[in-house]
Amino acid sequence: MINHSSILAEGARRVWRRQRIVWWIFAVNLILAFASAMTLVHAIGDVTDHSLAARRLVSGFDWGMYSELLTTPDVNFESHIPGSGSAVLVFFIFMLFMTGGILASYGNEYALSTREFFANCGAFFWRSVRLSFFMAIALTPIVIGGRALLQQAGKAINDAAGEKTGYWFALLAILLTLFLMMAVRLWFDISQVRAVVEDESAMARSCLQAFKVTFSNFGSLFWIYFRISLLAWLALAVGLWLWIRLSGGFAIVMLEVVLLCWVGTRMWQRASEVAWYQSRLIIPHSAPERVLSPALEPLPAPLAAESLPPDE
Amino acid sequence: MRWRLLGAAVSLWFGLAGMASSGAASVATNSDKPLSERVVAYSIDARLDARHKSLDATETLIYRNLTGQPQDTFPFHLYLNAFQPKSTFMREERRDRDSFEWEEKYRASAEVKSLLVHGMGDLTSQIRFISPDDGNPDDRTVFQVKLPKPVKQGDSVEFKITFHDQFGEVFARTGYKRDFIMGAQWFPKVCVWWQGAWNCHQFHNTTEFFADFGTFDVRLTVPQNEVVGASGVELAAQNNPNGTKTIAYRGEDIHDFAWTAEPEFRVFTDTFQGSMGPVTMRLLMQPGHVKQADRHMTILRQSLDHFDRWYGPYPYKQITLVDPPHGALRAGGMEYPTLFTAGTAWWMAKGLHFVEIVSEHEFGHQYWYGMVATNEFEDAWLDEGINSYTECKILDDILGKNTSAFELWSMHESDDAQQRNGYRDSADLDPMARFAYQYMNRSSYGDITYGKTATVLLTLEKVIGVQTLQRSLRTYFMRYRFTHPTKEDFLKTIEEVSGQNLRWFFDQAVYGTAILDYDIAKASSDRLDWFEKPRAPKKKGQTLYRTTVIVHRKGDFIFPVDVLMKFDDGENLRQHWDGHDRWTRYTYDKKAKLVSVEIDPDTAISLDRNYFNNSYVVQGDASASQNLTHYWAVAVQFLSQLAAWLT
Repeated sequence: MINHSSILAEGARRVWRRQRIVWWIFAVNLILAFASAMTLVHAIGDVTDHSLAARRLVSGFDWGMYSELLTTPDVNFESHIPGSGSAVLVFFIFMLFMTGGILASYGNEYALSTREFFANCGAFFWRSVRLSFFMAIALTPIVIGGRALLQQAGKAINDAAGEKTGYWFALLAILLTLFLMMAVRLWFDISQVRAVVEDESAMARSCLQAFKVTFSNFGSLFWIYFRISLLAWLALAVGLWLWIRLSGGFAIVMLEVVLLCWVGTRMWQRASEVAWYQSRLIIPHSAPERVLSPALEPLPAPLAAESLPPDE
Repeated sequence: MRWRLLGAAVSLWFGLAGMASSGAASVATNSDKPLSERVVAYSIDARLDARHKSLDATETLIYRNLTGQPQDTFPFHLYLNAFQPKSTFMREERRDRDSFEWEEKYRASAEVKSLLVHGMGDLTSQIRFISPDDGNPDDRTVFQVKLPKPVKQGDSVEFKITFHDQFGEVFARTGYKRDFIMGAQWFPKVCVWWQGAWNCHQFHNTTEFFADFGTFDVRLTVPQNEVVGASGVELAAQNNPNGTKTIAYRGEDIHDFAWTAEPEFRVFTDTFQGSMGPVTMRLLMQPGHVKQADRHMTILRQSLDHFDRWYGPYPYKQITLVDPPHGALRAGGMEYPTLFTAGTAWWMAKGLHFVEIVSEHEFGHQYWYGMVATNEFEDAWLDEGINSYTECKILDDILGKNTSAFELWSMHESDDAQQRNGYRDSADLDPMARFAYQYMNRSSYGDITYGKTATVLLTLEKVIGVQTLQRSLRTYFMRYRFTHPTKEDFLKTIEEVSGQNLRWFFDQAVYGTAILDYDIAKASSDRLDWFEKPRAPKKKGQTLYRTTVIVHRKGDFIFPVDVLMKFDDGENLRQHWDGHDRWTRYTYDKKAKLVSVEIDPDTAISLDRNYFNNSYVVQGDASASQNLTHYWAVAVQFLSQLAAWLT
């Protein structure tokens, strides 16, 4: 039986050893977001920097003053939404581009050079685009179904005999939708891993194969994925709890730590999935060999020696 | 034995009911004499069909003609007919809310089966529906009947009306939800002769009610498992052999009668010792909200206490608070004489003061609407607005000035700020002095009627003083309770008590739509020896500066303001400007530089639409803009990561 703890530990080891990836993603995320907010800082600054009323925005969280600022025409928050939306889009494309390089890095025992990293990014970019497109198709009915369930829950909140019934229904609808979305995400994570590990170029075939692999090992894979997700949400909850109690620069740093945790945990999921996929491949162990092609190495000896998943 | 008991119960029943209707003693108020003119006397016998959510009733109305002239035409409200798709009410709902879709479950109706006038016969065939406001032929919320002979001034006329109500699912204020029924605006109600004419508006989406004071003797027959609450006080109750029970209520010196029934209600009672006598506080709570009963009782007691001390006594013997069930919040937050509906949910955190705001506000209507019975169709601000102001004052006192709206997770907001932000949204759309149904839309109606009025009165405190305004409201209440005052009655009372001519303020604030906004157009200190080359080095306390400050009136609302200038030698200069010109300039030659300038340093002019431009600090501080930008950026980062999850 596969040892999940070992997979998680192996995933964590790979993230730690390739921690530059996490830092780079976090930095790009941070820079894009702050660059998109630069116009806002001027717009708000014009209103608040020389105003005594703005002091009420600094000490404590006076919602009344925030509301007043939000509705002040001189700031016009809405006009800054397209800029920030662009930052979100650029980060989305950036991550799509990086996927190949990230997975190749986590799949290789040695550290890829920058050239190797970006060669993998480029080699798998269009495959990632195609997989994202397939994933969007798979997610669409789930989102539509989730929305319909939530609408029903909304009705139940008003109409059900028990006051809490509708809320429970809403919670279940959210959990079910999240679960299905995570399952699809897991499936496409494995598709991406498979495409990189096996240098698969036919993405439809990769999807089908990954579907079989994912759902025949769903319990073990989901357990790996879910535990890390739980940690990310826990980090968010603790971070927000602390944020409320902190002020000024500390509060901002706390939020950034949470966001760094989110990047880290997502990469942990990716690395664990790669480790898991490699562990199920029966590949004779051979000495690492530096390659420029997007092919990957087998798992290092200690992990590869562990047993295969039960259904293999 | 059983029949004897029943006989005894019947005797007691008629004894109590007879005593009540004779008018010999006051049973519903703590006054030994009538408090109002009592133009109307309603006696209604109603039988509820709880299964079909319908009601059949017989209403006897004795109307005293105190109009000063003979009357042969009497208009009546039939409010329940508003809940029909072609009514004016629903037309306006759709006009202001594109997403609104009609559903049959909302349909309600009130049908007059017969109308007899004592001594004049059956006049059912004389009933005519009229639409005085918009001519909508499909609106059936007002009907009138013409009598064959006029009723002389001082005489009374007795109407006997049988009617059938079909309640719809709660859409606004009245109706049912599961086993809960809110019986409001449920009986044919005669209109008010006011200012020389019948004042009888159709039921509009934004309007409430207007009626004459009088007495109500109401007998409600409902299934025995129902827990009932109603206006007035309960006189007697008896179980009937058919599984129903009949409860008799008596209301005095009130102008409407509402009731509610639900088997699941949990009843809590307590007593408040008011200045006119004891008041029974009766709470009808949902089973899931029992833990919040204390919270409701506390705010009700505090509201009674504050109103009693600040504005005048509560004369009735009872006040009933109804907690509507989930899904029926549209029946919540509504006032009726001696009964009001609040609203809460199982998840309502203590720091969210929704319970306190709604309960205090609706109790406040016992004064501003219940006793000072202004015309809610035409001057909604006189009840909703004054009530919003007193709500701010009382909740500030009870819950704290900065936390009266909520205080949760280090965040807070005051009720004053909520009212002010409402006003800011629609500041120049409509004047306060506008018929409620003539506002641009529902949102403007709410923002102006509630928010602007409260903000105007908070600003008026700056002009005449907090205590004077409180005295004015007390005078207004004591003078006009149990009558139908106009807006000028209110405004003149304030002028009289304050001893000031306030027309300049009322014309702009009440009758106008001008915006009040002042800003600092310039604030700088320049060396007096600016032309010298080379200039002597700067020396604190020795170098002479010319400080120039320009205060600009951006809006059209003229309001005198104080301007506070602070210098770096510690000197503070306070100037008063009448605000008549568009701007004013202050110039000082001093051996000190300007640190800051602030308009309205006491933050007393709540009507000023923009607080941020009221001051200028020479040495800027970017903390606020940096903080906000960080939060914005963090939100973008978070969204980016969520989006990247899809890659």
